[in-house]
Amino acid sequence: MVNINDLRKAVKDIVQRDVVKYVIGYEKGSYGLRVSPSFAFTPEDVDKFVFSPLCSNNLAVYLLLEEKLPLKRNEKEDTRKIGIVVKGCDSRAVQQIIQEKGIDREDVVLIGVPCTGVVDLKKVTEKFQNTQNGEVIEEGENFVITVDGKSCKFSKEELLCDTCVVCENPNPVIYDVFIGEEVESKKEDYKRIHQLEEKSLEEKWEYWQEKFERCIRCYACRNACPLCYCKECMVDHLSPQWVRRSVNISENTAWNIMRAFHLAGRCIGCGACERACPMDIPLMELNKKLEKDIKEMFDYEAGTEEKPLLAIFNPEDPEEFVL
Amino acid sequence: MNMILPKSKVHELVENALKDYEVVAPTDNEGLIVFKQITNPSEVTLDFLNTVLPVKAVLLQQTETLFTFSHGKSVTINAPETVGEIIILGVRPCDAQSLVILDHVFADEYKDPYVKKRENTILIGLNCLTPGVNCFCTSVEGGPFSGEYTDIQLTDIGENYLVEVETDKGKAFIESMGDLVTPASEEDEKKKRELENKAKSAIQRVMNTDEIVDRLEKIFESSFWRGIALKCLGCAACTYVCPTCHCFDMQDETTFTGGARIRVWDSCMYPEYTRHASGYNPRPERMNRVRNRVYHKYNYFPKNCDVIACVGCGRCIEVCPVNIDIIDVINKTSEVNP
Repeated sequence: MVNINDLRKAVKDIVQRDVVKYVIGYEKGSYGLRVSPSFAFTPEDVDKFVFSPLCSNNLAVYLLLEEKLPLKRNEKEDTRKIGIVVKGCDSRAVQQIIQEKGIDREDVVLIGVPCTGVVDLKKVTEKFQNTQNGEVIEEGENFVITVDGKSCKFSKEELLCDTCVVCENPNPVIYDVFIGEEVESKKEDYKRIHQLEEKSLEEKWEYWQEKFERCIRCYACRNACPLCYCKECMVDHLSPQWVRRSVNISENTAWNIMRAFHLAGRCIGCGACERACPMDIPLMELNKKLEKDIKEMFDYEAGTEEKPLLAIFNPEDPEEFVL
Repeated sequence: MNMILPKSKVHELVENALKDYEVVAPTDNEGLIVFKQITNPSEVTLDFLNTVLPVKAVLLQQTETLFTFSHGKSVTINAPETVGEIIILGVRPCDAQSLVILDHVFADEYKDPYVKKRENTILIGLNCLTPGVNCFCTSVEGGPFSGEYTDIQLTDIGENYLVEVETDKGKAFIESMGDLVTPASEEDEKKKRELENKAKSAIQRVMNTDEIVDRLEKIFESSFWRGIALKCLGCAACTYVCPTCHCFDMQDETTFTGGARIRVWDSCMYPEYTRHASGYNPRPERMNRVRNRVYHKYNYFPKNCDVIACVGCGRCIEVCPVNIDIIDVINKTSEVNP
């Protein structure tokens, strides 16, 4: 558990520094159980900050989302640092971006917090239709959800995001300040991936066709992903047009598979894409399959190592897959 | 006169309808409720809050072929076949209202193919007994029981649906159903009124739309918009699930044997949407784009067509990954100093 006063105190201290532009954290959302990203420019803004198992957004996404317009005459570039509150997965995303030279370590101030997993709001809405007057409290291995005065207890596994149930990095891998106490990590067993691997080729194809057919190509997955930060995404490219604008099984499959491949060895497994998807496509099953293969073949885990996977060559690397 | 349709007869009604019409209805795909063309009445689900995608996905499909063409010296161009009669079952009042807004765009001077489809469609609406957390239809001239935009309006009154016929098209359809429907009693009508009051009072969220056009007129240049857009990720989820967002892009897509000119949903949230061929972009930042979306709905559209281009379904609030809440944004505009 993170003491919110300790967190606010640390953030206030950071946001006051001249070298810091703003700090990104979480605040209570506009309705129900929602939590929203929050930008603090002044110490007063920090009073809104919260931290709870509802803080599911991966805030590392904002580091490369800032649009830098051409400078006007006599205007100087704002090179101040950006502060972010990072959970385990968020910190891995930052680490990965730094390795890829997307940002410089010096450009960010990281406020690390331990994370015991975040709640999947889709799972909550399956149980409660209306959570307008609701709250979630963490009680050991359970969550207690109170809606309109009535409380219900659920085991954490029932409500946590699938990725959090098996999270191996709940504590930040890099940080400048750390608030709270480290929590125990869990073991990723790739149970779901093993189940999918057992399907025949035809079954897999059928399974994914049904999923991709739903895709509306809103690119919420891409935009919510901290590692999808290409200046121009391949789907937006016009000449050549790699993926057509038609929304159909063929183009949707191309899009989703290309995105998964572009994240191979880079996806840090936060699950932001899957949570952002309005059409409930199990995107993490694609990402986790690649994560598993890469772990087995190259003993590599994105966001926890020194260099990006594709920047490493090891003569011992397996190459059975090279055609 | 209003009628009643026993729930046990819905299956038969759909079966009858399938003989003469294409039937589109809400279906449950592993918990994901979407409108789909059905072939079997058992696919229909009428127990749902609202569909993920609005009814525009049926009448203004995400990808629509305008015409196909062939390669070579003797090029042939073929327009797609004209549409048959469609029934859309289970349309929520907000979605039905959205079509009236889309009519301003597609059925004004130029008659888009949408018009033909709309004319060939019978809308069977379904009133909302338990509105969702983010429903705010009552703030934008709608309501959980506002059935005036459909042809036939259903209300779940327990064992039966109360059937209210709103148009001649609806009347003809109901008459063709013979004795599946029977006249409603005063008791049934009373039940509906009770449920209506209950549903209206269950709507918790309120958007302040008083003088919204003027209010926005004064704060276009305000830094307020920068603050709102700060957390926007720039995806198109809000625009694609919006029942009134209607922007599209046109593309010629070819293969080795031929090709087609297609129309596909586009989103003002993408930077490419306004990027000129020169590379110049009049809406270069997310701030410009977020502001434009709000203004289009609550300022430009009311100025041009006398109606707010929002029906209060709350879908954009629901799907936004970072909780940009249109109710919150609009309500806060009343506190912004010009």
